Amino acid sequence: MSISRRNFLKAGLGAVSVTLGGTHFLTLAAQAANFDPRRVGKSKILVTIQLAGGNDGINTVIPYGVGEYYHVRPQINIPEKDVLPLTGQIGLHPSMIGMSDLYKAGKVGIILGAGYPQPNRSHFRSIEIWQTADPNKIIETGWLGRYLDLAKGQGGDADYPLPAVNVDSSLPKTLSATQVVVPSVANVYDFKFATDQHYQQDRKYQLSIFNEAYSKFDENSPSIDLLKKVGIDSVEAADYLLKVVQNYKSDVSYPDTGFGKGMKFIAQMITAGVKSQIYNISLGGFDTHAGQKGAQANLLKQLSEGITAFQKDLEAHHVDGDVMVMTFSEFGRRVAENGGRGTDHGTAEPLFIVGSGVKGGLYGEYPSLTNLDNGDLKFNVDFRTVYSTVLDRWLKADSHQILGANYENIKFV
Amino acid sequence: MSKRDSQALIPHLLRRAGFGATPVELEYYQSKGYDKTLDELLHPDRAANDALDDLIAAQNFDFTRVEDLKRWWLFRMCFTKRPLEEKLALFWHGHFATSNKKVNNPYAMYQQNLTFRKYGMGPFSDLLLGVSKDPAMIVWLDNQQNRKGSPNENYAREIMELFSLGIGNYSENDIKEGAKAFTGWQTKNSTFFFNSTQHDSSVKNFLGKSGDLNGDDVVQIVSSQPAASQFIARKLVAFFVADNPDQGMVDDLAAVYIKENGNTRSVLKALFTHPIFMNDKAFHAKIKSPSELVVGTIKTLQVKNLDGDLTASMSRMGQSLFEPPSVKGWDGGHAWISTNTMMERFNLATRITQQKFDALEGYISPSQMVANQGLTNARGMVDYFVNLLVDGDIPEPAKTELIKYVSSDISGKSVAAIPDDKLLDAKLRGLVHLIMTMPTYQLS
Repeated sequence: MSISRRNFLKAGLGAVSVTLGGTHFLTLAAQAANFDPRRVGKSKILVTIQLAGGNDGINTVIPYGVGEYYHVRPQINIPEKDVLPLTGQIGLHPSMIGMSDLYKAGKVGIILGAGYPQPNRSHFRSIEIWQTADPNKIIETGWLGRYLDLAKGQGGDADYPLPAVNVDSSLPKTLSATQVVVPSVANVYDFKFATDQHYQQDRKYQLSIFNEAYSKFDENSPSIDLLKKVGIDSVEAADYLLKVVQNYKSDVSYPDTGFGKGMKFIAQMITAGVKSQIYNISLGGFDTHAGQKGAQANLLKQLSEGITAFQKDLEAHHVDGDVMVMTFSEFGRRVAENGGRGTDHGTAEPLFIVGSGVKGGLYGEYPSLTNLDNGDLKFNVDFRTVYSTVLDRWLKADSHQILGANYENIKFV
Repeated sequence: MSKRDSQALIPHLLRRAGFGATPVELEYYQSKGYDKTLDELLHPDRAANDALDDLIAAQNFDFTRVEDLKRWWLFRMCFTKRPLEEKLALFWHGHFATSNKKVNNPYAMYQQNLTFRKYGMGPFSDLLLGVSKDPAMIVWLDNQQNRKGSPNENYAREIMELFSLGIGNYSENDIKEGAKAFTGWQTKNSTFFFNSTQHDSSVKNFLGKSGDLNGDDVVQIVSSQPAASQFIARKLVAFFVADNPDQGMVDDLAAVYIKENGNTRSVLKALFTHPIFMNDKAFHAKIKSPSELVVGTIKTLQVKNLDGDLTASMSRMGQSLFEPPSVKGWDGGHAWISTNTMMERFNLATRITQQKFDALEGYISPSQMVANQGLTNARGMVDYFVNLLVDGDIPEPAKTELIKYVSSDISGKSVAAIPDDKLLDAKLRGLVHLIMTMPTYQLS
């Protein structure tokens, strides 16, 4: 090396003074230091599960008592003997044994035929409609993002760091907000600000310079503003969440799938007392245009086993009364099967609401398989009535402010 | 245009039309000037690429493995002399987003990528036809199952919604009719196969045209719609210029599309010479995609040794090559940034800067770099790396923090003397790491 150390120092140091330690870590560090198990009766928690791709609701909640079902689906129907019956007419897919047991225990509400007027069959527009709760125009914020915006500053759990956590690598529009940045954490073990292993002692100082330098960037453009917020939040949240996971103990075993691990991570955060009110996770692969039977069976199995383990874990930690799980998808699928043993994009779909605080049972009517709209089911429950119920009765919010209109509540809470 | 702007223009062009440049490449293009550089980028065949071909041949990639396929593309992006060819292939990959997760045939994905290169700069209708007959696409959007009497609408929907027109420019009935036109368009033995027994030869009514239309007709009809000129122009502007395209610029490029029969080379030439592209406001105005971040870093720091984990790191940042998240491709822009992907960006910086088992060959040596520059003081070193990595785009007070960092020992104590070269090396690695975590390093 050809650098003269003496010259380097003479020219470089000047009157630079060094301040140690940023302030950003303090809030979360303090919270992490006092794990305070969540008390039952505090603010409620909602877990949304997005079934990405458009789940075929007709082979999920199966109208096995309706002859037309076997007529329009000669190749991909589920035989009556395999269906897990809910009533004499409809029942669950055979992969959903855990969900069937939870239903019998009164912990599952099923909303039949949920949808909206003039359904859109594009994946991207329809999921946006479900996420923003606005079928008429394109808007920037999600329905739960708007909830978080309103809850902020009210002195509740939404004011703590991590008002919500998205367990996925990219943020869905559901959680897009204007006042709150929701962190996305796909795998907590990869979520750590790493520094050079050869100089571990340098890490603390590097982090402090990182925070100081970040604070010097002007928020003069939306991109810098976003990068600055997310950059600081990431580093702050990382150390905290790792502690949360390290403190978790459970005897429940989760399925060894990405979805199973994600549900476990949510349970870890909830049982550790993380004050997030909203968690989101997605399970993808439901766009079954071809070869639907095996693919959907596998996905519904993952879904059912993940939810079942999660519920059991929450019960073992005595926090099950505070948590509600809700599934949704961008649309259901066409009533008649297509030429590839699959189904094309459709309309109305069933939603599952799961939790010890849920009034189990069936809500709404199963849509007719013969009185169709251009080959598709006619919805009979507006999905915004489900959202308004969750907002008003579970999260104790004002659904009118969030949804922009009044929708009747359903009795599942 | 100010002096700084004109000097910054070629690096700006190379970041957008390519993946940045090595210091040597930058010198080469600077000496050519803007117009000749752009001309060379728009005619990839004019630049010899022998060194890349030799390098690729030496890797013995197995194209039946998706991991190898990803590395093949990463090598091309990093070491090509034809940067726009790679960047445009990436644009079309995101546009006709096909994932090996479903196709499950890396060799077919490779062939599709060659199709993007073959037709990518020519008339859009040629490309659209090539893609409609592409085996990976036929599997991806289920056209294999699209048969006479039992149509599968998947391809017919997406060719209009996502590939050519955009939502609102067709009806649900056009989808049903378009699906009939594509019946029997199948793949067999890894090539296109027209299965006439499965083709529906009835009269179809599609976007105002009627007759015994087939897939070729659908491609011609959609490519010549005014909506297609707007749609393609908008996507090009969003990818190459700004996340929120300026409508005036989109109109200008759409006019070129119509005048030049959808010739992409002509549209791109208009794009890269458009005042909005060359304006100061376009500078550092887009968030780098993971491939831009990774490849740009490799080029700027002249890393020769491409570790196997680089493509995995890109996946964790949200861009898994050959495995886009959906048929809509990558949303780009602010969607690249979440706490999770940001942390991965920070950790790429660690991966690149930390010394690998004392091996220097092929990896970076920041202390050698500053020595080559004859730099002997902390400010000079910080300025050098800030200019190299972020074109100087870091506020002065943040630079002061970085100078503080370099001028202190490992525990953060300001020191009167750096005790040894090893510590200096550590601090410079830490410095490069820190600069790579800054907000402006994430910008293209």
